[in-house]
Amino acid sequence: MSDRVGGWLDERTGWRLVWDGVFLRQVPKVNWAYTLGSATLIVVVNQIITGILLTIYYVPSVQDAYATVDFISHDLTAGWLIRGMHHWGASAMVLLVGLHMVRVIYHGAYKFPREITWLSGVGLLVLTLAFGFTGYLLPWDQKAYWATVVGTRMLEVTPLIGDWALRVARGGDDLSAVTLSRFYGIHVWVLPAILLLLVGLHLYLVVRNGISAPPKKGE
Amino acid sequence: MAPMDRRKFLSRATVAIAAAIGIGWAVPGVAYVLSPAKKKTGEAEWIVLGAADRVDIGTPSLFKAKVTKTSGWVSTEAEVAVYVVTHDGREFRGFSNVCTHLGCRVRWVADQNEFFCPCHNGVFSVDGQVVAGPPPRGLDEFPVKVEDGQIFVSLEA
Ligand code: HEM
Ligand code: FES
Repeated sequence: MSDRVGGWLDERTGWRLVWDGVFLRQVPKVNWAYTLGSATLIVVVNQIITGILLTIYYVPSVQDAYATVDFISHDLTAGWLIRGMHHWGASAMVLLVGLHMVRVIYHGAYKFPREITWLSGVGLLVLTLAFGFTGYLLPWDQKAYWATVVGTRMLEVTPLIGDWALRVARGGDDLSAVTLSRFYGIHVWVLPAILLLLVGLHLYLVVRNGISAPPKKGE
Repeated sequence: MAPMDRRKFLSRATVAIAAAIGIGWAVPGVAYVLSPAKKKTGEAEWIVLGAADRVDIGTPSLFKAKVTKTSGWVSTEAEVAVYVVTHDGREFRGFSNVCTHLGCRVRWVADQNEFFCPCHNGVFSVDGQVVAGPPPRGLDEFPVKVEDGQIFVSLEA
């Protein structure tokens, strides 16, 4: 942005304060393991972009789901690529979130004053897995169907409320059109809404508390 | 060229990498959104109707064929009915059997030598011209060709 436009906007919005706070803040001397959170963030953005693109053609009904996924993969220009990025991005995200968390544990970065950062991170971890679980059903092919039959079945062994939990997850006794439609709504509306809130909180806290320096020997 | 300091280099490199990633999303994304628009339906698709020697000279014969229409991921089967006419056994013409008035099915009446529509008494000649009744124009014509003794029709026109 040219300085004049930037200055004009800054007078009215104060954007430079935010920009400098985020990008020009002081950080301790760190190593590559500190990029894992940002790497996860890039994948989150990738999932949002490619996910929105998939909803343009995907239809969450038992008649259409498989046919639309097939249409996306084989009939549209770059459809295979968009779907592939979303598919592999999902796995990459689980992996990166896990590694990021291991790094935080290894450095003891969850301690005061970063407990809330850690707790919001726990929420993000659960969300990532919930995204993976609900998204896996959406192609409505044999693999998707049976993986979800088995996955929801695990709820049944919960003491006392097992039967009930299973019925809630499936939206009935069996996997059905209801399950597909519910999983879709959760995958594209409920989880992203919570994700955006938690990512916002997480990043705010990272900036506000500053990044922790790698602990020294004996610390 | 003036030597670039480390800070400037890194900041430019960051912008360049961000731009590359952005393009990596934008190009396939735009292609994906626009691709259904570039699909042309114009290509003539020839549908087999049947043997040409089934058509008697001067008498329209009704052929029926099943066609699958695909729109996006939805395929629907439809039946097409075409009257094929020839006056010399070499030149063939194909007419829709849908009345141009309100869409009833016309039928060839051999002893009158005319197409007759039962709904409001529309009458068409052997070459599809309106002879009597309310139809506003002649029967719709489809391109027809004969190859290896088989009649093909194209429904695109
Ligand atoms: C969607 C998932 C997540 C995203 C996008 C994300 C993003 C980030 C980013 C960009 C940072 C800056 C420092 C760094 O990259 O190491 C960070 C720090 C942090 N993250 Fe995450 N994170 C996610 C999940 C998690 C999880 C699962 C945990 C742990 C349960 C966690 C705990 C933390 C903590 C405690 C810090 C502060 C580290 C420090 O100050 O050294 N995050 N996160
Ligand atoms: S529909 Fe054929 S004459 Fe009216």
